[in-house]
Amino acid sequence: MIVDRVQLIAIAVIVTVVVAVGYIRLGDRGLRGLLPRHWYRRSVPWLFIGPAALIVGLVLVFPGISTVILSFFDTKGTNFIGFDNYASALTDPITLIALRNTALWVALLPTLSALVGLLIAVLADRVRYGGLVKAALFLPIAVSAVAAGVIWTFMYDYQPPVAAQTGTMNALLTVLTNTDPIAWIIDEATNNYALIAATLWTQAGFAMVIFSAALRSVPDELLEAARLDGASEWQTFRHITLPILMPTVVVVTTTVTVIALKAFDIVYVMTNGTYGTDVLSTVMYRELFTARDNGGAGAIATMLMIAVLPIMIYNLRQFRREGQGV
Amino acid sequence: MQKVRTASAMFVTAVLFLSACGDAEPEEQADDPASNAAREAALEAAGGEELGGSVSMLGLLGGEELDAFLSVLKPFEEATGIEVQYEGTRDFAAVLQTRVEGGNPPDVVGTPAIGEMSAFAEEGTLLDLSEVVGQDVLDANFSPSLLETASVNDEVFGIFSTVNLGGLIWYDPSTYEGPTEPESWAELQTWAAQEAADGRTPWCVALESGAASGWPAADFIDEILLRQAGPEFHQRWAAGQEPWTSPEVRAAFETYGETVTEDMLYGGTTTALSTNFAEAATPMFADPPGCSILQQATFMGGIITDSMPDLVPGETLDFFPVPDYDPAYPGIRSISGEIVGMINDTEQSTALVKYLATPEAGTLLALTGRWLSPNLNVEDSVYEDPFLRRASEVLVEAEGTYSLGNSLMPQTTVDAFWKAGLDYTQNPGDLDEILATIEATR
Repeated sequence: MIVDRVQLIAIAVIVTVVVAVGYIRLGDRGLRGLLPRHWYRRSVPWLFIGPAALIVGLVLVFPGISTVILSFFDTKGTNFIGFDNYASALTDPITLIALRNTALWVALLPTLSALVGLLIAVLADRVRYGGLVKAALFLPIAVSAVAAGVIWTFMYDYQPPVAAQTGTMNALLTVLTNTDPIAWIIDEATNNYALIAATLWTQAGFAMVIFSAALRSVPDELLEAARLDGASEWQTFRHITLPILMPTVVVVTTTVTVIALKAFDIVYVMTNGTYGTDVLSTVMYRELFTARDNGGAGAIATMLMIAVLPIMIYNLRQFRREGQGV
Repeated sequence: MQKVRTASAMFVTAVLFLSACGDAEPEEQADDPASNAAREAALEAAGGEELGGSVSMLGLLGGEELDAFLSVLKPFEEATGIEVQYEGTRDFAAVLQTRVEGGNPPDVVGTPAIGEMSAFAEEGTLLDLSEVVGQDVLDANFSPSLLETASVNDEVFGIFSTVNLGGLIWYDPSTYEGPTEPESWAELQTWAAQEAADGRTPWCVALESGAASGWPAADFIDEILLRQAGPEFHQRWAAGQEPWTSPEVRAAFETYGETVTEDMLYGGTTTALSTNFAEAATPMFADPPGCSILQQATFMGGIITDSMPDLVPGETLDFFPVPDYDPAYPGIRSISGEIVGMINDTEQSTALVKYLATPEAGTLLALTGRWLSPNLNVEDSVYEDPFLRRASEVLVEAEGTYSLGNSLMPQTTVDAFWKAGLDYTQNPGDLDEILATIEATR
């Protein structure tokens, strides 16, 4: 079974590489032979961008537009019902809880990722075992979200106070503070934060890597000059390093904001939205696959898309500005 | 460039090497009467010839349950040369819907969600098995009520492949001191309340089950409703003709609620909510026992002995059927089970479904020790597992046998019911609101 799949993957890789190289080489040669030089130069970018544009159009633009269209139709997509799906989504108590939680995710996850990532990136460079710390923070990136959900389900495991605590968090809690264990992902006071913390574990490493790379771009002469002028370490960081890192902070927070808006796997695996932990994506998933309501799911997807768009546009602009700056 | 060539050459070699390892060695065929009979039945189901080829099947089974089910299919594969590619997923509904809409549905499906399957049947996705297998064959092998359960518009969209008897109390005979043949639910609960008053927690309850969390509570409430409000009401309720806010449903929730109070439950409600259902019995075997009785269907025996293989049936693990909730409706039993439906009409899938409808396949299923066979022609004497043997006796003695209602409902309602099981266990005071929430999904 596994052998079959490895074989299939190998064939897919080989075919893709051969086709891609063939397309570019033959296409380039063909255009050069067929078209006058002036037209050739104009059309060559389209040759290169063509496949990517086609794929993006096919798997992103087309489904995106049809999702928006579907959101104005009923369950099976046959009758136009205007904004009814949006109205019922915005009055449904479960969707409202999901909206509240998604807002919480968007507020906490990017902030915490940036803070933890920046902190570790800056501090790890100053100690000898910094590499080890970075590696420990970086490794969870390689863990799939579902696996992370399962791992953290064990971490948050709850046993009654009379029994031995098998969950890491509760074992620590009961030993260190001598209080009763907490049902982290059931107790409504903690569960949303517990889920966000689990996601943070998978995302902080990403932020740290980006910040580590960006820190290399801070000129040593500037830092040295500041220190010579008597600036404290905090002042150097606050007035030299941080302003230079600002564009990176923006990139990291916007990227993680989009991840927070898309949050699904961890919630689905750990609570499936029970005990008030629903986020917009889990509600959308249930609308689509349980209620089989294409319109309702489309409306929630469209709302998510509208929420993501400004962030993406801002991000793109930021990229472009940086590109011009160099 | 040279490097790239070397690398790709190594890659290709590796692929060739791996594919050479792929040829499985032929396994020896089991040579017992049941397997031999099953091979003959399989060959007949395939029209007497070795068809070869393959059939894809989508279902929810995994782990040891899947191994047990595949052992039933093995003689079929051996006799017909048809390879059954079983794909197990806990996200059954989503996967099936995606594949149906993508034009790549599995040939055959197996699932306990009968209500969900009836939605697919109404859309015309599932074939009418009375035409595939033959109405006479179905009538000869399955009870009218089982056929009726998996029918819509007079078309049989599913045949039962496994049956579980619900409403059993699992206990450890070496430590349990309560009644094993209680006359009524009230008698059992009186004993449980006394235990609780003495500071011992009688009930083992565990409701966590990933995306399906809460189903053990829903099944429990479902059975209480069947046997407390009577089969007629239960049937109307399952068909969506009675509101969730009706007094009967309320009473069923409340009867369940009496078992899941803080004093009655091992570890209190938080433990019940956060413990996986498969772990429900674990505290029963601690020293001293954390709880002593667990309400669950026949399959729980297999789940418990999977994790604690040292348990001896009858000595350290046993069950008794839950007594009547209401003397007006005596001897009623609830069942649940998986049905098999067919989407693609191929020679191979037809052969598989025909095979699964035979008593020979049913006998093999009974021999797995995991499930009861739904087949009328499977003798009660074939059960080697002491629990299943007893369960089949209980079924024979029952005054009436009915399917659990939540397996027949649309999935949105089932989801809401599962969630309600959790919410009610957590906040019993919110019952009105909880029932109104399920009612709103209809």
